[in-house]
Amino acid sequence: MRLTQGTFSFLPDLSDHEIRAQVDYALGQHWACSVEFTDDPHPRNSYWEMWGQPMFDLRDAAGVLEEIKACRAAHPQCYVKLNAFDATRGFETMRLSFIVQRPAAETRFTLEREEGAGRVQRYAMRRA
Amino acid sequence: MGTMERPQAQRAAQERYRAGVLKYAEMGYWVPDYEPLETDVLALFRITPQEGVDPEEAAAAVAGESSTATWTVVWTDRLTACEAYRAKAYKVEPVPGAPGQYFAYIAYDLELFEPGSLANLSASIIGNVFGFKPVRALRLEDMRLPVAYVKTYDGPPTGIVVERERLDKFGRPLLGATVKPKLGLSGKNYGRVVYEALQGGLDFTKDDENINSQPFMHWRDRFLYCMEAVNRAQAASGEIKGHYLNVTAATMEDMYERAELAKELGSAIIMIDLVIGYTAIQSMSKWARRNDMILHLHRAGHSTYTRQKTHGISFRVISKWMRLAGVDHIHAGTVVGKLEGDPNSVQGFYNVLREPHNPVDLQRGLFFEQPWAGLRKVMPVASGGIHAGQMHQLLTYLGEDVVLQFGGGTIGHPMGIAAGATANRVALEATIKARNEGRDLWNEGPSILEAAARGCKPLQAALDTWKDVTFDYASTDTPDFVPTPSPV
Amino acid sequence: MAEAQTRDFPGTLDLDALYRDSNVAQALEALERDLVGLAPVKRRVREIAALLLVEKLRRTVGLEAAAPPLHMCFTGNPGTGKTTVALRMAEILHGLGYVRKGHLVAVTRDDLVGQYIGHTAPKTKDVLKRAMGGVLFIDEAYYLHRPENERDYGQEAIEILLQVMENQRDDLVVILAGYKDRMDRFFESNPGLSSRIAHHVDFPDYTPEELYAIAQRMLAAMQYQLSDAARAALAEYIERRRAQPHFANARSVRNALDRARLRQASRLFERRDAPLCARDLMTIEAEDLRASRVFAAHEEGTR
Repeated sequence: MRLTQGTFSFLPDLSDHEIRAQVDYALGQHWACSVEFTDDPHPRNSYWEMWGQPMFDLRDAAGVLEEIKACRAAHPQCYVKLNAFDATRGFETMRLSFIVQRPAAETRFTLEREEGAGRVQRYAMRRA
Repeated sequence: MGTMERPQAQRAAQERYRAGVLKYAEMGYWVPDYEPLETDVLALFRITPQEGVDPEEAAAAVAGESSTATWTVVWTDRLTACEAYRAKAYKVEPVPGAPGQYFAYIAYDLELFEPGSLANLSASIIGNVFGFKPVRALRLEDMRLPVAYVKTYDGPPTGIVVERERLDKFGRPLLGATVKPKLGLSGKNYGRVVYEALQGGLDFTKDDENINSQPFMHWRDRFLYCMEAVNRAQAASGEIKGHYLNVTAATMEDMYERAELAKELGSAIIMIDLVIGYTAIQSMSKWARRNDMILHLHRAGHSTYTRQKTHGISFRVISKWMRLAGVDHIHAGTVVGKLEGDPNSVQGFYNVLREPHNPVDLQRGLFFEQPWAGLRKVMPVASGGIHAGQMHQLLTYLGEDVVLQFGGGTIGHPMGIAAGATANRVALEATIKARNEGRDLWNEGPSILEAAARGCKPLQAALDTWKDVTFDYASTDTPDFVPTPSPV
Repeated sequence: MAEAQTRDFPGTLDLDALYRDSNVAQALEALERDLVGLAPVKRRVREIAALLLVEKLRRTVGLEAAAPPLHMCFTGNPGTGKTTVALRMAEILHGLGYVRKGHLVAVTRDDLVGQYIGHTAPKTKDVLKRAMGGVLFIDEAYYLHRPENERDYGQEAIEILLQVMENQRDDLVVILAGYKDRMDRFFESNPGLSSRIAHHVDFPDYTPEELYAIAQRMLAAMQYQLSDAARAALAEYIERRRAQPHFANARSVRNALDRARLRQASRLFERRDAPLCARDLMTIEAEDLRASRVFAAHEEGTR
């Protein structure tokens, strides 16, 4: 199963060259890039681990690529994603977020059901 | 003895309130030197007066009939500070290129309106004037709502930013599809369409506006099957998915009952139709806010009054009203699809919904500066006859904060519903990626889609099936101010 | 010996077109305009620009694929224009495509070195990330190395810097700056760093005539003028101040002019009952300059 979170999950994995182009776009919009990783990609997990602080005030993608490479090397079995944050008024939120590393064996989820009154199901997603 | 010494003002008042019929302009509804206050509610009407009716008199009549006047003078006016309550028509201009039509600007005192009540606002402005005989046709073209008034509303319960954070989806439009056929499927089969579409790659699926609770499918059945499908698709993809469960019903009590079940089943989003009425919409907005539910509004029925330029209410006014009333999604036009939508007008609607502040933009039909006092942004929904081959045009016209709905474009795919969903998702992601890389979407769009299709058979099939489909008809609702290219 | 392989290319190559297209001309003109004198420095900058231009042209015909070494060292006394020239150099490098963005990040030791264990590496890396795509200018770089203090973390910063200067030459150009003698000693104890510097540019002190011209420019920009006597006083002031310790060239001239303005203001204030015209407000008199300690010290010395 291919986890389809993030902006570009339905495309073939982005090469470093393509990642750099996206980072350049984000820096051009004055967004701050950050790298996060996790071994728990459940969609309700809002808090992946931060790899260093968000990088404010960068002009060039080289520094970000270095951090991505370092994170991949340190956590080869984790999902790694790149985020771009926009602090302007009216947004103050992520504007771009995509996966830059997947573990060799992707996480699968199963659906658990608990039957309630009137055929109402209480659902839970668990790691297979 | 007494008569000669009575002061001017009193004599004028006596004249004014003597029984009989006066022209509206003489009754004080036409005030050409009036400077609107920061706190005035302003309305712009497009008036087509009857033959022989003076445009200023027509404007004054509209002002009068939408505030305090009646067709004859009444002495009871004098029991009130009537100058304050009178609406003031302060400017009348001919509409460029449309002889016989006039723009009339009318100002209303803030005190005329109940705080936070759309029913009151609409009853006040449009409740009485539209059938008025001296006016052959009348359209409420635009409104300026002062910050003081805007602040009395709660606005959208979720808003674009929080919706994205809740779905954890950033950087691209959201994708949806209305379940087809519109009518007739039973709950279980309906859920199958939902599962296939979501699992194939869409973010949302949608009940259509007239799917409420009919003999072929009871609402409770639909909710249970749809949520099963949503959860299955979530587990299959690892992404958050949703289905807009339509809670429209005959009474508020029924609507609350349906909304409560949606909440109990863990749905992220519910849907209502415009035809439930402004009061019901505000009630549901309040409920959605209290229950952390995204609220989708289908603009069912709006075209009966928004489509013709001469008579009705412009959709931009409806958009403003809906942002006040508080919905999170609203259908607002696609430009390139099967339903009415000129590019400039549609961009005007999108700006009204999405921007924190609208400057005057005559080209897009925005006649007033409109502050939004921090009211959250409404996500526009583009739905109706669009397909993957138009992705680059959709992105260029509509931007990134929009829900693109491909009903026929998903379910009609030759390789099946899931393939249709995948085709749309791949087309979207590839187009966004190319845009970020700096490619020229308008001109290179087709080649970007071709390149993406080489790695994705469903997309290739979609492009082959629909590449020649366009809906090129002349728009009826176009802006009046379009810059003409200057001679070279 | 192997023949150099050149791709098939039209007969003549147009260096002038490359020069014009690359905005290098603008940067060099700006250099001429903004800085008085500095003839040897300007010559050196033109030489480096020519080298980079020719390198670029060579690459277009397939010669010498390796990136040319670009790191530099600017030596000289303070106030001799090192930071200004570094800015122009960044423009030239950007115009020729050697750096991607062309911004300048100017730092000193304190921006790179931490106060406790583990503090230095992230601090240095942060600075480097911000500078990537442009030029990193390290003023008084020799302070990075403090061998007397064994709890000094400067060495760590130097290691990281060396790594980046070697492995990421496409991402960053480094310019070190400072006093010549201290820089020489710094390089002696850090041969790794010294070997990575391709271009050394020395910034000589301004001549008295150049300093006088700089002073004139500054005064004109501030909309002041000198009386005839004041002109002579200024020339004398410059001669004397140069000979004294801690002379910071253009900066010292600036300071002197600021102090003269202060004295002029006091003088006018003392005599505020007397009639004033606009000219008086603009003019610096000899006494405003001669009140300086620079003159007093000299007189004391000759006693």
